[in-house]
Parts: sequence; C-alpha cells; structure tokens
Amino acid sequence: MSMVVANGLTHRFGSELALDGVDLVLDTGEHIAVLGDNGAGKTTLLRILATALRPTLGRLEIAGLDAFRERRRLRHYIGYLAHAPGLYPALSARENIEFFCDLQDVSRTRIADVLETVGLVSVAHRRASQLSRGEQQRLAIARAILHDPRLLILDEPDASLDADAADLLGGVMRGRTAVMATHDHALANRLCPRTLVLRHGRSLGTPAHLRVVR
Amino acid sequence: MNPFRVAIAVARKDLRSEWRTREMVPALAQFIVLALLIGNFAFQIDFRNAPSIAPGILWLVLVFAGLVAFGRTFAAEREQSSLEAMLMTPASPVAIFAGKALAASALLILCEAVLLPALSLFFGTPFSADVVIAVLLATVGMAALGCLFAAIVARVRARELLLPLLTLPLWIPFIVAGGQAVQSAMGLPGRYDEAVGLLIDFDILFVVLTSLAARFVLDE
Repeated sequence: MSMVVANGLTHRFGSELALDGVDLVLDTGEHIAVLGDNGAGKTTLLRILATALRPTLGRLEIAGLDAFRERRRLRHYIGYLAHAPGLYPALSARENIEFFCDLQDVSRTRIADVLETVGLVSVAHRRASQLSRGEQQRLAIARAILHDPRLLILDEPDASLDADAADLLGGVMRGRTAVMATHDHALANRLCPRTLVLRHGRSLGTPAHLRVVR
Repeated sequence: MNPFRVAIAVARKDLRSEWRTREMVPALAQFIVLALLIGNFAFQIDFRNAPSIAPGILWLVLVFAGLVAFGRTFAAEREQSSLEAMLMTPASPVAIFAGKALAASALLILCEAVLLPALSLFFGTPFSADVVIAVLLATVGMAALGCLFAAIVARVRARELLLPLLTLPLWIPFIVAGGQAVQSAMGLPGRYDEAVGLLIDFDILFVVLTSLAARFVLDE
C-alpha cells in the first residue's frame, strides 16, 4: 500500500518557483532520501509532505487521505523534524518533551522511551539552551517520534550530529516510512534505498515522467 | 483531544519560560513606573484634577505595556522556530491561541498589579475594587485582539510597526468604556454599571470573533 502519493507538487513564494511539478510515490515502510544543492527545493518539498505548507498546485495523499482536507487527522501519522530544532530554550529537555506529550495527547510514560532512543537520558534535566547543538538536534528528533508516527519526515537530521548519526537515524526510521533530506550522500545511500534528486525545484530523472531516481 | 488541557499546557509553558528568563515582566514593570513618573511631572496634578487625568494616563500606559506583552507572544515562537512544531501537532489551533492569550493576559495582569497601586501612589486616586474590575475586564478583550494580531504580524519583518497599527483601532472601544468606568470609579460623573456592561459585551464579542479567526490565522 502507498503511504505517500504526490502528483505535480508545485509551490511558488511570490514570483519565485520553489518546487516545480514533483511527483512521488512512497510505499509503506519505504525510505527515500531527498538530495540537492542549497535552494533546490528540498525543505519546501518536505514541508509540503509534512502538511506544514500547502502547495500552490498539485495533489498529495497520505495513507489514502487527502493531505490537506484531512490535515489535522494526519498529524497523528506524521512526525516532522524541521530544519531548525524549534525547542524552548528555558525549558529542560524533559519539559520540552512533556509539553509535546500534552499537545500530542501522548502518555508521559513515553518520555523515558524517546529520551533513551536518542541518548539524552543523562541530560534530560538540563535546559535546552544548555545542550550542545547536537544534543538539541537529538531532542528535536525525540519530539518528532514522540507520538510513534507512521511517516517520518526529516529535514537534514544529520546536522550537528556526531559519528553515530547513521545508527541513531537508522533506529528511528526502522519500521516507519521515511523521507529524509540531506547533503550527505553516504548517509543517504546507507539509510535509503531510493533517492530523489532536486535541482531548481524540479526532480531529476529520465524519462521525464519518472521523477524518482532509483 | 481536550482543548482545555492544550490551552493550559501552552499557558503553563509560556509562564514557566517567563519565570525562568524574566524577560518581560521586570522590564514592563519598570516601564510602568517610569511612565507614571513622567506623567506625574508632565501634568500639574492636584486633588481636583487627578481623577480626570489619572485614568487617561492609566490607559495610555496599559495600551503600550499591552502592545509589548502581546507582541512577544508569537514573536518569541517565531524566533525560536517553535511555532511550526506546535502547529504540527493534532492540537486545535484555537486551543493553542487560547493558551497563548491566557499566558499573555496573566503577564499583563501582573503588570497591572504594579500599575494600579503605583497610580494611586503617584496621583492620589482611589485604588478600589471597581477600578480593578474595569481594568481586568478590558484586559480580557484586549488580550484576545492583541494576541490575534500578534499571530498575524509575527510572520512579517515590520511587526513592531504593524502590531500597533492593526491593534490600536480595535482597542478603542475598550479604552472608551474602560476609561468611563475608571473615571466614575474615581468619583467623576458617569455610569459605572453601564460602562462595565459595555466592557463585558465587547469581551464576549471579541473573544468569540478572535477564536473563530485564530483557526485560520494559525492554520495557514
């Protein structure tokens, strides 16, 4: 069964075309890496797939549901790690996750599990502002998987992570459908059997209608 | 999902952040005292004209303090890139908005706890329950409108300029009715009950309207 079906996703920021007719079909449990230079449209594509941004044109179905009509319902299925960690600096790592437990309607018993998964148990009491950039990224990953999402969308998740990033990311992606934008081709090859390359908002690949490069 | 739980969680998070950083309340409290001090020197105040001048200064100070308090509610979330994370949850945007408005109101009420006794001290006006009720009722509607426009302008660069331009015209009903209520509570002629009734009507109207609008402002 397809988890993601996107047809002709196009997005304009004013007169600037950020994404130009990208198609993508992703089966349940499949992992795909989105590659491309800066400004290629990776973040725009990921934000649309996460339903954080409505495309100017195109259609998106997630788990068989219209992604923008059923947006609120789909939020239970989607875990999104944005480009910036988006943490509350004055709150501790645990309090950051506790807050999202209330918003996601998730039991607080899950906090220990996710902090363990990302290796932050020992610094859970520290304020987010006192964590290193890598630890902040781990905390943001913990928040993205807090509600055990079926679809995980990760925008440069390896940013600031240390050498064991691939193991950590492989662990959180296991058993889930995942879309990961990265500049690290080696990491993409290791974690994702499929790759989508974007350039100037367009997906590369031949023939023209086959936008996903295997 | 319980929207009250979400609103309380958002408000608690904002208040806890403010308690730890002490970013806003001490600065606003200082601003309030300084503004009252300037008002005290700028006007020739005696026991006869104090009840007519003090309410004007009260609302001026409250309006500027409110603009700062409400302006920060969404600006901080944007700066930390945390608003999107919050909106990516299944929580209702209206509940998130209510939580933000609740926290901003609580902070403004803290500032009012400095403002009202200080006003009484500097201007010798009575510090009565009637004055407190009028100010608190105005705070409810002003918070709802202030937070809504703060959410709208948080996306734009000139937000500090746009927020007063959008908010002040819609705060005028609260300032007019609140001004009348405070003046009559301070002993000037006027119908206190009528002014308070108007404040309650405005509160209901603007809380309902902003709740309806919040969904579209935050969701898109």
